[in-house]
Amino acid sequence: MSAAPAPTSIAPAVQVSGLTKRFGSFTAIDDVSVTMKPGRIHGLLGRNGAGKTTLMQLITGQDFATQGDIHVFGEKPTENPRVLQNVCFIKESQRYPEDFQPKHVLRSAPWFFENWDAEYAEQLVDEFRLPLNRRIKKLSRGQLSAIGVIVGLASRAPLTFFDEPYLGLDAVARQLFYDRLLEDFSEHPRTVVLSTHLIDEVANLLEHVIVIDQGRILMDEDAETLRTSATTVVGPRGAVDEFVRAREVLHRDGVGGLASVTVAGLSASDRSQAAAAGLELAPVSLQQLIVRKTDVRETGIEQTA
Amino acid sequence: MTVANPAPALIAAPPLGRRVWRVVRLNLVNKWTVIWIPAMIMFFIGLVNWLIWWIIWAATSPADRADAMDGTQWSGGAFYIFVYMLVVGIQVITGTFPFALGYSTTRRDFALGSGLTFLMLAAGYAVGFTLLSAIEEWTNGWGLGGHLFTSVYFDGESLGGRLFTVFATMLFFFAVGAFSAALFMRWRMNGILAAGAVFILLVVGAIALITLTQSWPAVGDWFAANGPLGVSAWLLLPTAVAAIAGYAVLGRATPRS
Repeated sequence: MSAAPAPTSIAPAVQVSGLTKRFGSFTAIDDVSVTMKPGRIHGLLGRNGAGKTTLMQLITGQDFATQGDIHVFGEKPTENPRVLQNVCFIKESQRYPEDFQPKHVLRSAPWFFENWDAEYAEQLVDEFRLPLNRRIKKLSRGQLSAIGVIVGLASRAPLTFFDEPYLGLDAVARQLFYDRLLEDFSEHPRTVVLSTHLIDEVANLLEHVIVIDQGRILMDEDAETLRTSATTVVGPRGAVDEFVRAREVLHRDGVGGLASVTVAGLSASDRSQAAAAGLELAPVSLQQLIVRKTDVRETGIEQTA
Repeated sequence: MTVANPAPALIAAPPLGRRVWRVVRLNLVNKWTVIWIPAMIMFFIGLVNWLIWWIIWAATSPADRADAMDGTQWSGGAFYIFVYMLVVGIQVITGTFPFALGYSTTRRDFALGSGLTFLMLAAGYAVGFTLLSAIEEWTNGWGLGGHLFTSVYFDGESLGGRLFTVFATMLFFFAVGAFSAALFMRWRMNGILAAGAVFILLVVGAIALITLTQSWPAVGDWFAANGPLGVSAWLLLPTAVAAIAGYAVLGRATPRS
């Protein structure tokens, strides 16, 4: 029953080139070029104020670029119903009409999202324990986030953005969101962009990682490549120093005679060499890796070499 | 069977009519705000008015009654519904617009859908208002000779004339509310302040012009000559200007949190 993959599967879902967005004298997005492939879960990571939300606002046609090109499914997104029909943008700061209750959101969503699954939405309402007949203004932060998560999942839009969708959600609800996202994604593949700073929590979901800092793209890599791109070497200080001498050091730590040094990707022979030297090798978490690369205090010296 | 990373099938955009209609439905999804609550308030105002008429009716001698009840000609009780619709016009832009954009509606579809919503609401309320005015006449002022829906602003007109007056006036209030809110959406408080300043200067300028050319009697004559029907027809002009300007302003507005 499987249809041959359409030729469009190679075409990027989102293609951004030379994009700049200024607010007065402030440059929120600075000459950004990035591509998002269809059918994958992307992580858009970065610190607060890095430009994540602005970038998504631009891609979804909610804001207007100062300079540069954006193509979503091959067309410009702004005021383009052909593109926007395929887009769902769930943002942390979404505003609702004064008089709305969650039931009004669920009632009107299917008019706008053709793939809407009402039954699934109902199931999610139960699971997230969202009260349907309460003014949205009176909901807790977590319940407000739950509305966004439910709409984002049940709308099944071919391109779905979640901008920090978890604010106020407790650990159980967040895990529920990650589980449902992964399940529903495998049943109904689509392009998902998840912006978050809870990197470790979503590390296993992500297939592609884009890190943005001060309006610039700092990292744009396959998650798998990224995971193997660095390793922490632990052992006696002398042996560790000897091993890492000729390598790119990302981070250095140490207690007493022990050293723990994070270095860039190791080959198989490097690994056996390390093992022979009695050194322990540990994987680096995505979060550590990104912190290492975005924290100027730490990497300023090593990176600018 | 699952295929590795298949391209998500794209959805074709529905035709313009359907895209506009879903905005109308969104604007009307909570019937309480746009229909039931204003109707209930209108009913309450009617009730209070009726009680006051009854007090006047009971307190005046039968000979003076007709004269006393004539005073209710100047009732502004029904005016409330227009102010309510001004607020509805504002809320459609400040509340529903950011939400509809979150649903990936284009600004154009939203503006067209909301304009259509305003036309429908104005038509609906005009019909209701006219029916009530007919009942008011038929029952001789709800049994007491009072005027609420046949007050001086609507009186002396055929039913069709009243229908048009209410329709045009209500559209005017929707347009002014939506236009001001669109200014706010695009330029925040600065937009409102600048537009307010321009408006005040225009009004002062007009007053100066009329006063210096000693044309106040002519202005009075103009209102008298046009009557409620003519004035509300002229009202369509600023309404259209506000609607078109609002559309242009909203076209590049982005909701900010």
